[in-house]
Amino acid sequence: MSYFFQIVVSGVVVGSIYALAALGLVLVYKSSRVANFAHGQIIAAGAFITYFLTVTVGMPIFFAFLASMIITFFLAMSVERIFLRRLIGEPIISVIMVTIGLGSIIDGLIYLTPFGTENYSFPTFLPQAPLTLGGVSISWTQLVGVIITFLLIGGFSWFFKKSTVGISMRAVSDDQFGAMSVGISVPRVFGLAWATAGLSAAAAGCIIGNITGLNFDTLHSFGIIVFPVVILGGLDSILGAVVAGIIMGLIQQFASGYLDGNWGLNGTGDVMPYIILLIILLFKPHGLFGVHEIERV
Amino acid sequence: MKNKKVLFLNALLVIAVMFAFTATANAGGKVYKLGMSLAITGPTSDAGNPYAKGTEDYFKFVNETKMLGDDTIDCTIRDDQYKTDITKRNFEEYLDEGIVMYLNYSTGSTLGLKRDFEEEKIAVLPASYHAGNLDDSNYIFLPVASYSEQLVALSEYVVKNHKGEGKAKVAFFIHPSAFGRGPVDDAKKAVAAGLNMEIVEVVEHGKDLDNSAMLKRLMSKDVQYVLSHTVQSPVATMLKDSSRLGLTAGSYGEAGKLTFLGVHYTGGNDLIALAGDACKGYVWTCSFNLTSEKNDGTTKQLALAKKYGRDDKAANSHNYAAGIMVAQVATEAIKRAKAAGLEINKENLYTTLNGMNGKNGYSPYTTIGPVTYSKTDRAGVDMLQIYSVQDGAFKKVGQPIQSEYMTKIK
Repeated sequence: MSYFFQIVVSGVVVGSIYALAALGLVLVYKSSRVANFAHGQIIAAGAFITYFLTVTVGMPIFFAFLASMIITFFLAMSVERIFLRRLIGEPIISVIMVTIGLGSIIDGLIYLTPFGTENYSFPTFLPQAPLTLGGVSISWTQLVGVIITFLLIGGFSWFFKKSTVGISMRAVSDDQFGAMSVGISVPRVFGLAWATAGLSAAAAGCIIGNITGLNFDTLHSFGIIVFPVVILGGLDSILGAVVAGIIMGLIQQFASGYLDGNWGLNGTGDVMPYIILLIILLFKPHGLFGVHEIERV
Repeated sequence: MKNKKVLFLNALLVIAVMFAFTATANAGGKVYKLGMSLAITGPTSDAGNPYAKGTEDYFKFVNETKMLGDDTIDCTIRDDQYKTDITKRNFEEYLDEGIVMYLNYSTGSTLGLKRDFEEEKIAVLPASYHAGNLDDSNYIFLPVASYSEQLVALSEYVVKNHKGEGKAKVAFFIHPSAFGRGPVDDAKKAVAAGLNMEIVEVVEHGKDLDNSAMLKRLMSKDVQYVLSHTVQSPVATMLKDSSRLGLTAGSYGEAGKLTFLGVHYTGGNDLIALAGDACKGYVWTCSFNLTSEKNDGTTKQLALAKKYGRDDKAANSHNYAAGIMVAQVATEAIKRAKAAGLEINKENLYTTLNGMNGKNGYSPYTTIGPVTYSKTDRAGVDMLQIYSVQDGAFKKVGQPIQSEYMTKIK
């Protein structure tokens, strides 16, 4: 039975991290209807900034983590200000192409540093002995990762539901012209959406980097790996990202635990989430929590 | 009119200076053109970057120390970002520049360009040790034993050192690509040929954040040894998960636990950096000398890195040693062809490489055994050294080994 529960715990852990990594994509899409293809690069940048501040500058890791989130907050805001703001009102495909270009530029910039090609590891700052209960084990890294994920997701949910700025962002997402007519600054909202996405990406980068080690190729691939999570949850739903992330994590772990190695199957942990995604989308094309917009003309 | 005359005279002067400069440059000796294409950025660049540095430094050293007399080697090194289409473009441009030997990198591009190498009849030294590179190919020379040979030799090591009753039960943990899958069939053939072990499962990994399910599944099937053939990052994550779950053997082959082993690209200092204490006891095969086990070769390697201002990480990387090694083999081939009075061209270098065997074998300072090639043997260093992580560094375990079963299954 502990085997089953271990898979459940692992699935929830992995799924939570997917949810956090997916959060940035949701935040940008929620406000600007743009899929950000440079998200993986921002995840990687956040992890490397934390490493640099901790190891090179000598900052305690907790402060480095916070500083990294603040830096990526402003970095993403600057990216929006410089590259994307002038595209407001342009076709969505143009904006998406710009994010693909941005991804390449950030790739190039990171490759100019040693982080682009070398492997690093965060200094050990959590107890190495795992927490074990009834044969089910979880590492401190994973536990802290899950806690940070839920804190951030809870914070963002509150922000969008209760704060004036958050409500403004939702308004812009629903109807840009309507929002402008009541005095909401759409460009400012777009900037904030990118900035908060940058912040969450840095947090995701640090957590993933702490688990897998700091390898640019691995880190930036998570920007793409979490796309199915966002699509399954509904592109504009934070709750959807959380639920879909955990569903994906659980499917992955159960497939790996019960299907792989049996009946000649292998690698189902990577494939099954996509199969389930396709099946769900057949019945719910806007994802589990995505808004189905009905336009009257 | 006056301006036109001045312009004409200036142009003449420039041409004359260029001609004089070229004539002076060539007066001292011949320039042998080589080309290298590899992943300095992009996927696997953690290996490709120090590899490129090793090759670059060694050729600089050859030219500066006049190892070839007044002749020099001009090796252009270009980044292909691990993309076969870019590799092909680089290779074609090098051909236009008149290269006499080509240094390649990835398994995908080596397999993809195999026919081109045959058509061009040019000797190629790749960083991919995939046995499939040698199938239907005459011009690819693997620097060291193939991945197949490494995995089979490691399997033999497992069988010889198996602790416990009955057959050794193993699982393979491999990269989901041609690179990863390549040696699995040969390992299965070795088992069919009598190697006393059971391959319980072949696991193709993804970008896993948690390997608990996979590791517990292997345990439930009584797997005792996990042999990896992939890159360091997934191995590091697996080792950390195994350590957390308390599944890692405290000593080699401990019953009821997992002992982890791996071939060339799974190990090295990067694995220690990524996995930390979790890689204690990890067993690794490699044909290169490691700086954690000092000898004359590693002293020279470190001196070369220092001479050209490389940081400690690159200097101590086995990939840096591998990069130096291919440059050493290329230089040695040119040196031998020159000594034999042959013109340095594609054909003669190919012939010279094929003659590098027996008492004419070549022992570069970077490897644990001699490089030998012939028309029927195009894997350079046949010997493999077993290393194991002890006190945070890879240390030698016993004498170099060589696979017995590879000859049986060929």
